[in-house]
Amino acid sequence: MKLRRDLQDIIQELKLDDSIKENIIHWQTIDEKPAKNFDMPEEIHPLLKQSMEKRGISQLYTHQRTAYETASKGRSFVAVTPTASGKTLCYNLPVLQGIVEDETSRALYLFPTKALAQDQKSEINEFIQEAGLNINSFTYDGDTPANIRQKVRKAGHIVITNPDMLHSAILPHHTKWVSLFENLKYVVIDELHIYRGVFGSHVANVIRRLRRLCQYYGSDPVFICTSATIANPLELAEHLTEKKMVLVDNNGAPTGRKHFLFYNPPIINKPLNIRRSATLETRWIAGEFLKNKIQTIVFARSRVRVEILLTYLQELVKHKLGPKAIRGYRGGYLPTERREIEKGLRNGDIYGVVSTNALELGVDIGQLQVCIMNGYPGTIASAWQQAGRAGRRRGESVVIMVASSSPLDQYIIQNPDYFFNRSPETARINPDNLIILIDHLKCAAYELPFTKGDRFGNIEVEEILEYLTEERVLHHNKDKWYWMNDAFPAHNISLRSASQENVVIIDQSDVAKVRVIGEMDTFSALTLLHDEAIYLHQGVQYQVEKLDWEEKKAFVREVAVDYFTDANLAVQLNVLEEDRLRNREQVEIGYGDVSVRAMATIFKKIKFDTHENIGSGPIHLPEVELHTSSSWISLDKEFASLSKDRFEQGLIGMAQALKHIVPLFVMCDPQDVHVVPQVKASHNEKSTIFFYDRYPGGVGLSEKVYQGMEVILKETLQMVENCRCQSGCPSCIGSDTSAETAKADVINMINLFLLQAK
Amino acid sequence: MSLKNKLNRLKPHLSIGVPSGEKQEATQVKVSSDFINQEIPFMEVWEKENVRPYFFDNDYCLVREVVYPLTYKHGNYRFEDAAKAVKLWNEKGVHHPLSTAGHSPGDMFFFDTETTGLGGGAGNTIFLLGHARLGVDSVTLKQHILPHPGAEVALYQSFLETIDYSTLVTYNGKAFDWPQVKTRHTLVRNHVPKLPSFGHFDLYHASRRMWKHKIERMKLSFVEKDILGFERKDDIPGFLAPMIYFDFLERKNPEGLLGVIKHNELDILSLISLYTHLSYQLLGEDKNRSVREAFEVGRWFSYLGNGEKAEETYASIAKGNEVDAINAKHALAFEHKRGQNFTEAICLWEETSEAGSLKVRIEACIELAKFHEHKSKNWQAALHYSQKAIAELEPLDSENKRDRWMKELHQRVNRLVSKMERKK
Repeated sequence: MKLRRDLQDIIQELKLDDSIKENIIHWQTIDEKPAKNFDMPEEIHPLLKQSMEKRGISQLYTHQRTAYETASKGRSFVAVTPTASGKTLCYNLPVLQGIVEDETSRALYLFPTKALAQDQKSEINEFIQEAGLNINSFTYDGDTPANIRQKVRKAGHIVITNPDMLHSAILPHHTKWVSLFENLKYVVIDELHIYRGVFGSHVANVIRRLRRLCQYYGSDPVFICTSATIANPLELAEHLTEKKMVLVDNNGAPTGRKHFLFYNPPIINKPLNIRRSATLETRWIAGEFLKNKIQTIVFARSRVRVEILLTYLQELVKHKLGPKAIRGYRGGYLPTERREIEKGLRNGDIYGVVSTNALELGVDIGQLQVCIMNGYPGTIASAWQQAGRAGRRRGESVVIMVASSSPLDQYIIQNPDYFFNRSPETARINPDNLIILIDHLKCAAYELPFTKGDRFGNIEVEEILEYLTEERVLHHNKDKWYWMNDAFPAHNISLRSASQENVVIIDQSDVAKVRVIGEMDTFSALTLLHDEAIYLHQGVQYQVEKLDWEEKKAFVREVAVDYFTDANLAVQLNVLEEDRLRNREQVEIGYGDVSVRAMATIFKKIKFDTHENIGSGPIHLPEVELHTSSSWISLDKEFASLSKDRFEQGLIGMAQALKHIVPLFVMCDPQDVHVVPQVKASHNEKSTIFFYDRYPGGVGLSEKVYQGMEVILKETLQMVENCRCQSGCPSCIGSDTSAETAKADVINMINLFLLQAK
Repeated sequence: MSLKNKLNRLKPHLSIGVPSGEKQEATQVKVSSDFINQEIPFMEVWEKENVRPYFFDNDYCLVREVVYPLTYKHGNYRFEDAAKAVKLWNEKGVHHPLSTAGHSPGDMFFFDTETTGLGGGAGNTIFLLGHARLGVDSVTLKQHILPHPGAEVALYQSFLETIDYSTLVTYNGKAFDWPQVKTRHTLVRNHVPKLPSFGHFDLYHASRRMWKHKIERMKLSFVEKDILGFERKDDIPGFLAPMIYFDFLERKNPEGLLGVIKHNELDILSLISLYTHLSYQLLGEDKNRSVREAFEVGRWFSYLGNGEKAEETYASIAKGNEVDAINAKHALAFEHKRGQNFTEAICLWEETSEAGSLKVRIEACIELAKFHEHKSKNWQAALHYSQKAIAELEPLDSENKRDRWMKELHQRVNRLVSKMERKK
């Protein structure tokens, strides 16, 4: 009988066992790194020092020291810090020291979610209590009881909240927060990289409003941001806050040796390039570790997957470890539950945690030995954050990413160099998107009147103010514009929803308990929520029973079917204005404003696994028009060697493939950028592929595509070439065509674009 | 000399002291034609409405002033009745949050605002601050009107200059008007005097206590109609006020706004009558006080811990067999219990355990059972009342309150039975 194996044994086994070895596509060993320390700055208050010493902190890591010094000089900074590198001290130390030095000073902490804010409050309060300092820190969110709200407003040294609350509850009521705004010394923005796309563009405007009020009350706070590793943290921080920033990235935290494995499930259907389910593979790999009592965290992308994995793993080790040794960790946790899990991990009662990505966002549950990702989490930054959950400061750890068959997963896993060395992920925002800007300009005018010559952040707004005056929202008198409307503008503006008018998704599976499960912008609803569409929500299948287009409601019911639906969208694209153009020999790459008119025509039912078309039906919905920004690439010369039909199919396949790669460059969801091929574009009569922002007016995604067009093409080519299918599959160029030549045609066409573009 | 200085110099001459007459009409304040200002649009219309400009800091606001004789009747009361109410509070020495003992009538500041939106928030502008005060022989109503959004410094200056009272009387002003005044004041706080601190009578809450049983929505206009005997004619509903004000800002013609100003004036006048009426109710001065109203007064005193006053009020209505009288008796019994007058309490409960509503009958039985179990030690009687209550509750559908009662009653029965057995 074999004894229990330890981590080393299993690592050896992974390396040697042939049946496993061949699925491990890449094995990266990251060597241990010793700590780089600095002495504690002398001026730190003795009580703070004591409190840190109690937690075993007698010195600072290099990045913590740089952060402290930068902040004390009154300069804003963004710290790029991996998980478990002591990031909170980067802001807590300067903030607490600042309050000790000047009791009147105030700080505002912004976290993207309520849960994170709660978590931070507990941490900082423990710290303050241990130090025995008289500093008040409070969370301020929808759950804050009315009776303590006043105390938070008047006496909270540190107010911990989220951008939504700042937008709708704090800024519009700024007169109740005078002592905060007058004395605001630090604004802390944690998880900066979350503020991208539409959400980030909104938040940038909320920060414009915040800074405008600070100016009114006579303060000019220092901004402290922390971010996961992305390609452009400094640019994003400066764009978001419109402040000059210092980049702090001299991480001095120690790390143990880490093995990072890319695991690709074996192919079970060669012609269609179908692999064994990632969930099944994750199950047995996690099981191997857990059976040997090695502490393991498993990340799954949906709650349903978490459930499936949890049930299976608990069953697997029931007799060995006891039922409570493996815990699920889904969104909406309570701090006490988290404490319990944390404690269990520390004292060894708990071996395994199966989690959605709630944990990746900075919630600290301690460190484990093994991390297994069931599928690529969507962005490289997220993957690193999840990977950071494994790895104590000493000793070895293992991270295994199990790829699903999705194109993006396959691309990532086959391009380790990309992942480890050249992270191209750029977080983009566009605070000047007119729709978003006007929304927040209204809120800003509600908060304080505008005076002629005032700017809003970096931009001049007189014309917009005049427009709003014509719309009878503002009143112009002498040199000022006043809010003159009976509405409360912040209430109608959500920072997180994609567009202004959304379709509400209503689940009526349980007649007695009809509930809203989500919302979707009208443009996406055309193809995803039409009658009879299969809508996937957190891994659960729903069928749309009725889409009430007038009322913008989709009624759905839970179903279990073995197909998904795919709608055809007839798109007419007109270039309204060409802002930028790069002309090569026979290729032009452009960027500008477009109008997209889209009409859903028919939908197909497509069987899982085989991707057979098993039925179709018409869609009766009106045409929808969208004005947005777009980039495009056009080719002069038509392929002489290809028939018109093959050329058209090739263009469609190429667009499919490009669609998979785009989210890698611009941190966004795949549906945030639409890729549309046109054999003959109306504005230049050339064969063109458009990449447009789905959000009206654009949030900077397609602009980034314009800048990186050549790279995107190159990587797309590689992805298609490396795909193991023979003539094209859903993982590369899509399954719209069944032509034998399709894949080869696409490769040729991309090559031609590339050749010309060089 | 600038117009502003001129106005300031002439100010003492402008203060109004119109003797009260026998007439029921409001006395119009004379505004000298010297003050027609070319820059103020439609000044001639304003003038007819007793409105004159107030200049400050290179801007102006408008101030309307109307004087009513004390004999003026608004609804069922004359304004002099309000002065009488204050006198009564002083004489009777009854403790109550609405008591003006220690104050003179002139200390009260009847106050109401009109705003450009609902709810709090920095951008909700107050465009009208109205208040009234009882004088020796008249009521002076003043309304400070914002002619355009930039003139708030002048508005608050003129408002704050005129107030020297100690007690605010409003309708829902605790939650809305006064916090909003604070909000808007904060925005101009460096240019105008500080806001004084006030005592505050919010008659909205008082009205809810008294008439929740008969008025569905506690809007002031409903209270006026159902309680104060005053009905508005051609009144502009409050929710239209923002639209009318926006229109005024564009066209400058006060025509529509005058309706809002009138509405605000009536609101304030009603506050005076409402305060009078509430005081009379509380002090038992209203001959027409209904049994139910008296009952609510008693409950209020009881809630405030003023058992004596509560008892007195209940006793006044605990005659006869109408529902309200039974309720009063029941409540009175609780007061007696609190005052350790068990004999009286038991007497009343014995009656209400037969004649009251279900809730009253059950509560009475429970109280009687408690008394007989612990005080008189008549366990047989205690058992009787417990079982009587159980018999009443038994057939009813399961529901929170019923189940709680049942549980309590069964426990008591069990306890009583075992006590009786032990005794054997």
